[in-house]
Amino acid sequence: MMKRAPLIWGTKNYADITNDICELLEKVPGWKYFAGLLGAKTLFLVYILAQGVIVAYGMGMMGISHPVMWGTDIITFVFWIGIGHAGTLISAILYLFRQKWRTSIARTAEAMTVFAVMVAGTFPVLHVGRPWLAYWLLPYPNQRGPLWVNFRSPLLWDVFAVSTYATVSAVFWFIGMVPDLATIRDRATTVWRRRIYGALSLGWRGTARDWSHYEIVYMLLAGLSTPLVLSVHSIVSFDFAVSSLPGWHTTIFPPYFVAGAIFSGFGMVVTLMTMVRILVPKFKDYITLDHMEAMNKIIMATGLMVGYAYGSEFFIAWYSGSPYEGFVFMNRAFGPYWWAYWIMVSCNVFIPQLFWFKAARRSIPVMFVISIFVNIGMWFERFVIVVTSLHRDFLPSNWGMWHPTIWDLGAIAGSFGMFLFLFLIYIRVLPAISIAEVKPVLEVGREGGNHDKH
Amino acid sequence: MTKDNSNQLDEQAPVKYWLSLDQWRKDPEFNKLVEKEFMSSPLQEEEGKGGWARREFLKLMGASIAMTSFGCVRRPAQMIVPYAKKPQDMVLGLPNYYASSFMDGHEGFGTLVVAREGRPIKIEGNAEHPLNRGGMSARAHAHILSLYDPERLTGPKRNLMNAKKSNHETVSVSYESLDKEIVEQLKRGGVALLLGPNTSPSTQTLLSDFSTSYGVKTYHWSPLTYEDISNSQKYCYGRELLPQWNFSKAKYIISVNCDFLGVHVSPTANARAFAARRKPDQGMNKLIVFESLMSLTGTNADERFRIKPQDELTVLMALVHELLTFAKPARYANEGALLKLASHFAQKASSLGLPKGLLSHLAQELWSARGNSLVVTGGSIKTENSLAAQVAANLLNSILENDGVTVEYEKASTSRNLTSHTDLQNLIDELNKNQIKTVIIHNCNPGYAASNSGFIEALKKAEMVVYSGDRMDETGVQSDYVVPDHHPLENWDDSEAISGVVTLQQPTIEPLYQTRSFQDSVLVWSKAGKNPSSRVKDATTWYDYLRAVWKARFFSQPAMMKKLDFEDFWVEVLHQGFLETKNTSKAQPSRSFNLSSLKYITEVVNAVATGSSQLLLYPTVGLRDGSLANVSWLQEFPDPVTKICWDNYLTVSPQDAVSAQLKEGDLVQLKAGEKNLEVPVHIQPGQADGVFGLAVGYGRTRAGKVANGVGKNAYDLMSWKKNSGVGSMAAQISKTGRCYDLACVQGHHSMEGRQIVVEATLAQYQKDPGANIHRHKMMTMWSELPYPNNKWGMVIDLNSCTGCGACVVACQSENNVPTVGKKYVLAGREMHWIRIDRYYVGSPADPAVVHQPIVCMHCDNAPCEAVCPVMATVHSDEGTNDMIYNRCVGTRYCSNNCPYKVRRFNWFNFVKPVEKPLNYAMNPEVTVRARGVMEKCTFCIHRIRSAKSQAKTQEKPLKDGDIKTACQQSCPADAIMFGDLNNPESQVRKLFDEKNSYALLEELNTKPAVRYRSKIRNANELKGEQGHSTHSSGEGQHS
Repeated sequence: MMKRAPLIWGTKNYADITNDICELLEKVPGWKYFAGLLGAKTLFLVYILAQGVIVAYGMGMMGISHPVMWGTDIITFVFWIGIGHAGTLISAILYLFRQKWRTSIARTAEAMTVFAVMVAGTFPVLHVGRPWLAYWLLPYPNQRGPLWVNFRSPLLWDVFAVSTYATVSAVFWFIGMVPDLATIRDRATTVWRRRIYGALSLGWRGTARDWSHYEIVYMLLAGLSTPLVLSVHSIVSFDFAVSSLPGWHTTIFPPYFVAGAIFSGFGMVVTLMTMVRILVPKFKDYITLDHMEAMNKIIMATGLMVGYAYGSEFFIAWYSGSPYEGFVFMNRAFGPYWWAYWIMVSCNVFIPQLFWFKAARRSIPVMFVISIFVNIGMWFERFVIVVTSLHRDFLPSNWGMWHPTIWDLGAIAGSFGMFLFLFLIYIRVLPAISIAEVKPVLEVGREGGNHDKH
Repeated sequence: MTKDNSNQLDEQAPVKYWLSLDQWRKDPEFNKLVEKEFMSSPLQEEEGKGGWARREFLKLMGASIAMTSFGCVRRPAQMIVPYAKKPQDMVLGLPNYYASSFMDGHEGFGTLVVAREGRPIKIEGNAEHPLNRGGMSARAHAHILSLYDPERLTGPKRNLMNAKKSNHETVSVSYESLDKEIVEQLKRGGVALLLGPNTSPSTQTLLSDFSTSYGVKTYHWSPLTYEDISNSQKYCYGRELLPQWNFSKAKYIISVNCDFLGVHVSPTANARAFAARRKPDQGMNKLIVFESLMSLTGTNADERFRIKPQDELTVLMALVHELLTFAKPARYANEGALLKLASHFAQKASSLGLPKGLLSHLAQELWSARGNSLVVTGGSIKTENSLAAQVAANLLNSILENDGVTVEYEKASTSRNLTSHTDLQNLIDELNKNQIKTVIIHNCNPGYAASNSGFIEALKKAEMVVYSGDRMDETGVQSDYVVPDHHPLENWDDSEAISGVVTLQQPTIEPLYQTRSFQDSVLVWSKAGKNPSSRVKDATTWYDYLRAVWKARFFSQPAMMKKLDFEDFWVEVLHQGFLETKNTSKAQPSRSFNLSSLKYITEVVNAVATGSSQLLLYPTVGLRDGSLANVSWLQEFPDPVTKICWDNYLTVSPQDAVSAQLKEGDLVQLKAGEKNLEVPVHIQPGQADGVFGLAVGYGRTRAGKVANGVGKNAYDLMSWKKNSGVGSMAAQISKTGRCYDLACVQGHHSMEGRQIVVEATLAQYQKDPGANIHRHKMMTMWSELPYPNNKWGMVIDLNSCTGCGACVVACQSENNVPTVGKKYVLAGREMHWIRIDRYYVGSPADPAVVHQPIVCMHCDNAPCEAVCPVMATVHSDEGTNDMIYNRCVGTRYCSNNCPYKVRRFNWFNFVKPVEKPLNYAMNPEVTVRARGVMEKCTFCIHRIRSAKSQAKTQEKPLKDGDIKTACQQSCPADAIMFGDLNNPESQVRKLFDEKNSYALLEELNTKPAVRYRSKIRNANELKGEQGHSTHSSGEGQHS
């Protein structure tokens, strides 16, 4: 049998790994990091300003209007929720399938999930007309008599789906970190550091009993997260699919959204990982080109699925014989928002085809650029779905256009600020690669290194 | 012991107050006892050591919490004193209705003013009034807002003018000093009175008394005049009058550039009569329209042909020619001169590009409908040969034996209602000759609407100008004294818009400010004049005077005297709102056409038709002459044809737009006469090529915050050279290269082949009432929703609806619908709960037009209800889809899922900028919506509720027709029917089940509670493709 390529490059022993990963948390970062943090923080402030203005004066500050009552907020919400999916897929599904290559990217992918869901979560709350009453979407005991939430509304399902997802992802992420946090605690040189990481590591001692419990909990949580990969974006897609609007009312939406979510999620993982590799050169041995290539293959595969969905939407629009449906899809591709549609198709279907070439799959600049295109394309996919369906529906007298305002742009750009800010903080305070999971994939202590024989 | 005590009594320092001697002595034992007596806590001792024990701590904490909460006192109750003596007929919380009237230019009809706790909040139609029978116009509804206009004058003003009369600074004066000055001036003679249309018999009497005191010359002028009609009546039949066109008797109507449904003289009454004759089951009328611009009447035409304004006469005379040659009417067929004249035009008509044989075909149809047909012509604005066209129309009506039947000259508006530009021209001339010393202006605004006439310059020659208006407007600033007039809702008045029906107007609120009605002013001045009549002397106020006139004039009629004394009579008339003084069913005395009047046609026969493009000024349905321009409801009222609001624009035909390479909203330099005006272009389908249209009523400079600077003043272009007040002229346009945003509330103007408005020809309808309606077989897994008691529903008859838009403003008034301004209309955020969609069918060059009012459909399977996460929109057991504003968090999902997009969102706090006292016009029955919530048509749920409670308290069952929605109530065409679908006898149930009723987007299975009845055209074929044909390639039914 051919020997598999090693998952971690270089000749590392356990101590090297611990040192490499913990070093990042123990040194004062360089100016590049602070420059990045400053930029991200500034964008984050833009986000706070934009949303603050919108909350202060009303939703009228945004570009939405009659008939396009949903715009930036919902588009960007779906975008960020979608981003999160790759993290769960990598950490949960690939874990259950014993895909060991996931070990060095799982932690950061999960972090990305948690942050993406945090960013996403702000949007539906702030997009409502009266955000101070958004808690009415929660079914809690109240004094309003029989008035209760409407369990028929997909928006309510969204509340459950997203909050469940946020909770499970955060718990999963945190539990996975416990042994590593204990390592950092043990290496700590100052009292406060020891205390903080000590508290976070939940009294981990590294006994066999600890490990046994840990492994079981981790696997259970992986099992719990796995259906979420499929369910969360399915339910988000119900916001559209359950409505009666042509262009939204489509049975293909749940799988299509999930494929799109994984696609965009991997796009974002690749973006972040290339950035991590640049920021922390040592990690190049852990997050190797092999890892990147594997992710690029997934991007290409899911990109094809998404492309298939685009095609089948058109087919069904024609095959259904519904004039409204047919019109909406022709209008998408050739109406006033044709450019958005073709940006979407180019970025999501055409450009990832470059990954058929091995050279492209293994070139960091190429994959970085493509992953950015994928992110753009997936934002536009949600734009196309939300705006082009709404702007021309049943009665032509209602037709209208959507023109974004400066506050829309502030909310979109600022949400990236929030995400990057959280991410940059994370890289420096939490172990960005799972020490505990990477060590077992080393060949140390194995005969002939046939560790992958199953 | 006693001794000791007594000793100490003397020795010790005194304790001022003491209870016992022990205390006085400061006995240590006693002191200990005292400390224990009011021991703060037995527990303290029990637990021993002092300090705060646990219970002590809890107690103290409880006490301190209680103390801190004492800080938050409830809002102190403020007692209000209820009515010590409650005004009669007033129940707090219930509206009172007062019969009154609305005068708008030459139009006048009966209204009911809804007042709550003494303040009018809405104007509704008086269902008894013979002219409108409850129908309303958008303007009449909007009139309420002008009462509360924050920019009304609050007291009399004097302009501090310099020698050049250019200083417009004003100071407040008292009525005493103002009256003194004015009376002194009036006594110097040379008094001119410039008035708008005035049909009030009492005011006329008062003015004649005034005239005897001071020798006053009276001029009647308004920017929209019908002097050509009245003059032609004089020339053709001998009496100057404005005839009443009886559309309810007209089976066949030809309108040549006459927008009788939109603006012409009395559109509300016209629409009512026209619609009454438009029932396809009862001898439906036929409307043929020849016109240059696309008017509201043109959109309702069965057949419509495009002509240039200068060809009006040609078409009419060619019809005369056809009739003469084909029917040979005895009196006219042998008139050689007439034949020659007519054949000249017949020749000319052949080059108009009308379909071949059209005119002879029309002539035949007209002839077969003679006596029941009607030919009308002329806009509200004079054109070069409009007088000749009126003469030709009179001739046609006489040939067709319509005169006296559909042209009712006995019921006509009398000369009082006539205004003319010639009058204004005369006044200008006299002013220029320095023959006038004092000018009193009332009820017209020449400073704005006669801006090009030289009136303002001439006015400076008068010694004193007195203006009785409600604001410091364009005329006000040119006047020395402005006597602020009452709003009509604060004033007594009467009107006789058509003779035989006198309508009373009663005040419904104490004057808001220190205003004085024009009539009161005139009365005061008359009293100070020489030889005031006894009527004037006896009357303290205008009210006394009015009553005296009524007593003398109407009560004295024998028919009235019989039954009542005057007080009873007065109360009865007030209650009813109007008095019919004549038996109108009486046959009219016959009159005959005076052939010598043909000279007015001969005069213009050789007028060379200019080859260049013609500009035609026109009034819009919303703003009309521009007098109510400061009412935001009217500015945001989408034009029934263009659907644009907050602007006027140059309408251009699609063909002209192509050849001049114009796009919608391009700014062009319009050159007409010597004047230039920069205006945006609107490409108007169906407009005649080589014609431009520009609406008057815009471009106010001193109307107030709402109207100032909206649009351009088209009156500036009106020509006063050859003929006074002509609104059609040669014009050129040149592109400026810049663009301008026009706020159009409709996004797209074609139905895209969808079944939205179903049209059928009369023949198709007679064969199959459900013609052209494509039905769907709907299936459902679920059982129907139960509606145990009532199930409210509505049927909108597209065949009756003229698209006038009265319902839009009625709803706005009833339901506190905010206006949002041009900026947000451009963003698509207008808030109207009922909107009228207007679609063009067929080619853009010459389309047919349909109107479709859209309200909330109150679907049984409402898509909005399912998706609201907080259940802020729910289905009632009466079939209505109810919106719970205070539960709504504003996800806007409901709007996205509504196929009809009838929901409106409060993007901002739209109520916040409502200036005082405009808030008084709000209806307290309807919640004022906060920002961030959805709103939509409620089927006037508050009316349903109050009718049901009323029925319950009166222990009577609810009758069909007890509940009317605001839109239904105001519709002059009775196109909207509302009621209980569970009642098999109800009108709405019957209409609902009619074969030609259909649900909009039926195939979505939303099961709307609103249905439409298809539009019937009395024509041989329909323009354009019918929706269903592209919809399912003729398969018939599919499921």
